Amino acid sequence: MSDTTIKYEFQYSSAEHQADTAISGMWLFLATEVLFFGALFLSWIYSRHWNQAGFDAGAQQTWLAIGTINTVILLTSSFVYSVGLAFIRAGDSRRLMQCCVLAWLLGAAFLILKFGVEWPDDIEKGLLPGPGFSIEGPLRGGAQLFFVFYFFGTALHGLHMLGGLGVVGWIIRRTRRGDFSPDYHTPVTVVGLYWSFVDIVWIVLYPLIYLIGRGP
Amino acid sequence: MSAMAVDTPQERPSYLADGVTLRSWLLTTDHKRIALLYLGSVTIFFFVGGAAAALIRYNLIVPEGMIASADTYNRLFTMHGIVMVWFFLVPVVPVTLGNFVIPLMIGARDLAFPKLNLLSWYLFVAAGVVLIYALFAGGLDTGWTFYTPLSSNFSRGHLVAAVAAVFISGFSSIATGLNFMVTIHRLRAPGMTWYRMPVFLWSLYATSVLYVLATPVLAMTLLLLGFERIFRLGVFDPTLGGDPLLFQHLFWFYSHPAVYIMILPGLGVISEIVPTFSSKRIFGYKFVVWSSIAIAVISFLVWGHHMFVAGTSLYSALVFSILSYMVAVPSAIKVFNWIGTMHKGYIRFDAPMLYALGFIGLFTIGGLTGLFVAALAADVHLAQTYFVVAHFHYVMVGGMVSAFFAGIHYWWPKITGRMYPEMWGRAGALIIFIGFNLTFFPQFILGYLGMPRRYHSYPPEFQVFNVLSSAGATILAVGYLLPLAYLTWSLFYGKRAPDNPWGATGLEWKTSSPPITENFITTPEVTEPPYNYPQPDAARSG
Amino acid sequence: MTARLRELSLTLLLLFVLLAIEFGMAFLPLARSLRPLILIPAALMVCVVGSVFMEARQGPVIVRLFIVAGLLWLAILLGLGSLDPLTRRDYYLDWTMIPGPAKPSATPPVPAEVR
Repeated sequence: MSDTTIKYEFQYSSAEHQADTAISGMWLFLATEVLFFGALFLSWIYSRHWNQAGFDAGAQQTWLAIGTINTVILLTSSFVYSVGLAFIRAGDSRRLMQCCVLAWLLGAAFLILKFGVEWPDDIEKGLLPGPGFSIEGPLRGGAQLFFVFYFFGTALHGLHMLGGLGVVGWIIRRTRRGDFSPDYHTPVTVVGLYWSFVDIVWIVLYPLIYLIGRGP
Repeated sequence: MSAMAVDTPQERPSYLADGVTLRSWLLTTDHKRIALLYLGSVTIFFFVGGAAAALIRYNLIVPEGMIASADTYNRLFTMHGIVMVWFFLVPVVPVTLGNFVIPLMIGARDLAFPKLNLLSWYLFVAAGVVLIYALFAGGLDTGWTFYTPLSSNFSRGHLVAAVAAVFISGFSSIATGLNFMVTIHRLRAPGMTWYRMPVFLWSLYATSVLYVLATPVLAMTLLLLGFERIFRLGVFDPTLGGDPLLFQHLFWFYSHPAVYIMILPGLGVISEIVPTFSSKRIFGYKFVVWSSIAIAVISFLVWGHHMFVAGTSLYSALVFSILSYMVAVPSAIKVFNWIGTMHKGYIRFDAPMLYALGFIGLFTIGGLTGLFVAALAADVHLAQTYFVVAHFHYVMVGGMVSAFFAGIHYWWPKITGRMYPEMWGRAGALIIFIGFNLTFFPQFILGYLGMPRRYHSYPPEFQVFNVLSSAGATILAVGYLLPLAYLTWSLFYGKRAPDNPWGATGLEWKTSSPPITENFITTPEVTEPPYNYPQPDAARSG
Repeated sequence: MTARLRELSLTLLLLFVLLAIEFGMAFLPLARSLRPLILIPAALMVCVVGSVFMEARQGPVIVRLFIVAGLLWLAILLGLGSLDPLTRRDYYLDWTMIPGPAKPSATPPVPAEVR
């Protein structure tokens, strides 16, 4: 592979060296995110353990359809972005652009559904933890803790998605400028890793929120 | 000598002279300059935390407390803890010595992500600004551990500001750790295999693993705490179904590895200094380097020993106690290896070596007393007493701060191109050693006798030891101010340093003092093991 | 190129199948403490996304090292962290043994599900 025309920083010995290092760095960052969300999952375990009935009662109030649709959207978005990456590896910058735009739109759709439709509905039903919490009786404590986890978890995930939209948008801009080629597309790869990871976090959050507490 | 080509022609300016504007410093991506930016910042924080310590020891001179208000006292020890832990000990050696030395030691031109390095400094400064705000707004009374429900429900201090400051500093840590890990994996000079790396690099690698894997848990913990405080979420509130111990589990999951974050770089520094000043290869290199990794791994398995009397299950306490005994083993291995290194070596007692020798003794005492408190039955009596305070100050202050001073003196010629005045250096080391022991040894006795920690006043029978401790603190303060004075003096009037004033091995000593911006003219190639000193009995020239 | 596209498309299909399985499992009559088994299909989905979309198996060796480290440490956090609540016991005092004013009953009341 000829990398004489590809610039790389002075502390690296070749463009490939830099590319591999960037990818390794992103994976390490994702490992930190695993531990970040992991702490939230521990709090899920504790909250559910001490308040099993109430916690599950809260889970039954979630909007299963919209959560499931959102899961399908995110999986597709991750798929589409990976397709785009495959295209730039084959040299098709135009298809990369289209895929990134589609992936971006799917991500935006997720956010609109979650924060524009689902959250307002939950808040209207009185599920926001606090004095106005609508589930009364002995299950209140557990149910409220469930919704603490729900709002906290989806907010943090949403913030990460927003960041993801930012970096995918950056990739779209750079693709339009013609920055990427089969020989150089490291930013596309690295952003793809982040985007798929945010998808992975949702894949774990989805059953914790919508499925586990929902028994017959 | 090894076949290396690292000449530095005189025409190239050193990194210090390469750009003199403020902009060239504040927007630098040169790891050496960033190290100095950090050095200035952590020094300021050290003295802020030290001032709080001085007031604490001042208060404890009389049984009723010299400072009338217990609430003020609570705010003092809280600020002392927060500043010293997160704004001094956690960053200090990696961001100052590590940032400076790592690329030099591995034969690279800079770290893997230089801009991320600069960002980490700005995050640190931002965190510091928020903390200073919290301090001037009145501080916090919960202790640096922020236990719920005091912190979430009842404290009248500035919890959210303090917690926000620590949260931001966490990102600085993660950035540094990530940068170091990727650098050590990917930017080693040709021929530098893992087993040819100096021990300091292994220690910093282990520290970086801790930065990267433990700090995110702290981030989430503080986020949950902040929201719990503002919105009364209930996650840590038993009246709402939450579990206050969840906070402690999450907090200590980070904070126990954090104490190893604090000590591991120090262990690495000592492992550099002892071979140099014994002119001898380190004893048992592989044991020493793998013990750093072992400490890093096992440190994640012991956090429950901070919670033995908090109400956790007895079975979980037993597991944590056993694991805590295991974590002491790699540290002990290091101590024995340092002794083995010195044995039959040609020992010189320059200031770095005096600090290192002090470290070995004080760290051993601190480490062994850790085992006392790791024993469940003993901990029932010793927990939350001055015994614990003395234990961790022995490892952190007697150990880690001494190691930092050792490293600063050792690499000072490389960093600044000047020699510090040797006699003052040795005097400082001695004063610190004496002052430290006088301050903290009485605290072991106080703890054993039952004096609780974090108490603003105490029964009169404890006064003698408290007065001794405060007297020692005064001497210790002199010992810490001395290097500030003579190191600053040496910047202007110190003798110019040669490339290798100590006759040490290692790539950083093969380049000029101070180095040029790119560190090396040509990429060095490594063909020899580390610490390649001549054998002590062989009669041959170096 | 087409091989990669085929691989990606089949993977998406697999993910949807796993999602359907997971969805179905939610409606099975599992005991409360067994319901976390629903996470198994989710874990498989994570592995699939990681290995196919994120190409974890290609690339430098340290990538796999970082993945193992992240997952191992997550396991430690969740496993060793859960050990405490799973093994906590209430040790009841016999209040009649403690000197002082009369207590309402011999043992302290067991807290009901918290209000």
